[in-house]
Amino acid sequence: MKTICFLFSPVTHQIRGKKVHTALKVTTQALATTKDKSLTKENQEFLDNVVNDLYANQPEYRSPLADGPWKRNVYTKRTLRTGVLAIKLGNLPQWSKDGKKITTTLLQVIVDNHVIRYYSPEVFKTQAGWLPRWSDKYGSVVVGALSTDPRKYNEQYNEQFLEAGVPPKRKLTRFLVTQDAAIQPGTPLNAMHFRPGDFVDCSAKTIHHGFQGAVKRWGFKGLPKTHGTTKKHRSVGGIGGKTIVSVWKGKKMPGVMGGKWRTLKGLKILRINTKYNVLYVKGQNIPGETHTFVRINDTVLPLRRKTENPPPMPTWYPEDESEQLAEEYFDEDLFQFTNESLDLKTGTK
Amino acid sequence: MPKRLSLKPEEVEKYRKSKLIDHPDVPVAEKTQRETVPADYRFVFPEFLPDPEYDRRDRVRERLERDDMYRRRMVIEIPEFYVGSIMAVTIADEQTPSKESRFVGICIDRGGIGLRAFFILRNVVDGLGVEIMYEMYDPTVLSIETLLLEKRLDNHLYYLRDAPPEYSTFSFDTEAIPIPKGTAIPVNPLKVKLNPRPWLERWERQDLKGIQELNLPQKFYDRAEIHAEKPWQKHDLMKQYRSNINADDTEQVMKEVHQRKKAIDRENTRRRKEAIFKNKK
Repeated sequence: MKTICFLFSPVTHQIRGKKVHTALKVTTQALATTKDKSLTKENQEFLDNVVNDLYANQPEYRSPLADGPWKRNVYTKRTLRTGVLAIKLGNLPQWSKDGKKITTTLLQVIVDNHVIRYYSPEVFKTQAGWLPRWSDKYGSVVVGALSTDPRKYNEQYNEQFLEAGVPPKRKLTRFLVTQDAAIQPGTPLNAMHFRPGDFVDCSAKTIHHGFQGAVKRWGFKGLPKTHGTTKKHRSVGGIGGKTIVSVWKGKKMPGVMGGKWRTLKGLKILRINTKYNVLYVKGQNIPGETHTFVRINDTVLPLRRKTENPPPMPTWYPEDESEQLAEEYFDEDLFQFTNESLDLKTGTK
Repeated sequence: MPKRLSLKPEEVEKYRKSKLIDHPDVPVAEKTQRETVPADYRFVFPEFLPDPEYDRRDRVRERLERDDMYRRRMVIEIPEFYVGSIMAVTIADEQTPSKESRFVGICIDRGGIGLRAFFILRNVVDGLGVEIMYEMYDPTVLSIETLLLEKRLDNHLYYLRDAPPEYSTFSFDTEAIPIPKGTAIPVNPLKVKLNPRPWLERWERQDLKGIQELNLPQKFYDRAEIHAEKPWQKHDLMKQYRSNINADDTEQVMKEVHQRKKAIDRENTRRRKEAIFKNKK
């Protein structure tokens, strides 16, 4: 079987006046093939059925999970687990048990999150995109989401999913993991990877505003509206000093606004819906518009990591649950809508 | 042109329905029941209609939001009310000695979508105008009552701020006047006489039916005509389509509300009976 390296190397384009940011975290290396229009409707339906049965029955696409699971390690202080890919669904208000309003963001962990590949630290070291400061601490995990029709992509792209035995994915992303959190390709990931009360980091691309002036991009005041000002109402003004005959680096000026990777750290998970795999995360400012892809992983903030009550390692498996999975799990501090209204008379909140 | 970095709503739906993805069905109103939904449900439960902004719509989020709303309505009775109705609201309040506070007033505005739904009550207490905004699904709200169920001629009554206080003064001891079941909601044809200028807003520029003749100089009406909506704008079909939920979606949501309302009503009557027995003891 061919091994194809995922392209994660930073690319910079030297275009004058246009700033393009590096660090490509989510990539699709897909080329659409042209659809054969000469097929009849029946033949088209037949092919559709073949595609749907392909990953269930063909021995070529056998899941590696059938060989038995890998060894599960104990969570330590230094462990870095894999993350998941989600889409942002929008904001909803929720209330705490004190009666305070909390704005939450709904993140749907897309149902078919699968581990596509795991690279051990030795292999990862030889790949493009590896940074020397990582030394041999981290391996990497490629996670994919949104299963698609393989006819949409070229052969080279589809072959990458043979190892995991899953349909080709539209979106791929890479997470750094320590060696004790190694995870088997083909493993499905879902919202139960986290628990209510855990803290997570969410990273996504901010809304792309295009090329904007300094007033919108940096909140500058502009020049006076009256007193003879002509055609300069939204201008920057002076950009240099008296003594230094140059412009300081990082001077705030017009340019491309948004479309950058940004991370919000230490967000609390307040509620989990297991039916639709939705996480209710505290905070209203997760980057991007509705239906953007969001990378969610355990927080890096040391005081918010739960080493005493560790999360499931390397991920949650259905066998872990002794009872039947409830539809919803709540944080201790969150008000549940099935409860009675708040009664402050009795002194209990 | 800035790049779109997110999936379109229809693309997301396509993936959710794909056979390659094992996504659970998002249930909507049952089709088997052939009951006709009352036509005015759109105005009785306006907060159940989703945000008309197309790019922000998501079927799963709307489903989860409405489920929470039904759950809350099973616990507390949220009665029918309109702008112009006189209402009484009790909330849990830490700052008062009794840990509760009750407020009576006229509903001057109502809005918000889903769990964000709100209404504003206005009253004049000891000569001072008081307005309080309540959120309908806030768990600190202990009870909502409509003392007088009626409508006014306008969609909002913010002009009461510039009217004499007697138009918005209501006693806290007002008793509820129920209207017979099945009758149409009465519309109060009261026309308010505003105080002389200066005002908080230029009321002459708004198309208000509930105020008396303003008797301003002609130049005010001339300016109002310039700022008024152009006569062809009310026939702009695309504008209407973008700012409203279409008829099919409205029907589907209201059908679901109608089906869920039976269980909610049953729960409310049970609770009311329980309260009566408690008081007797």
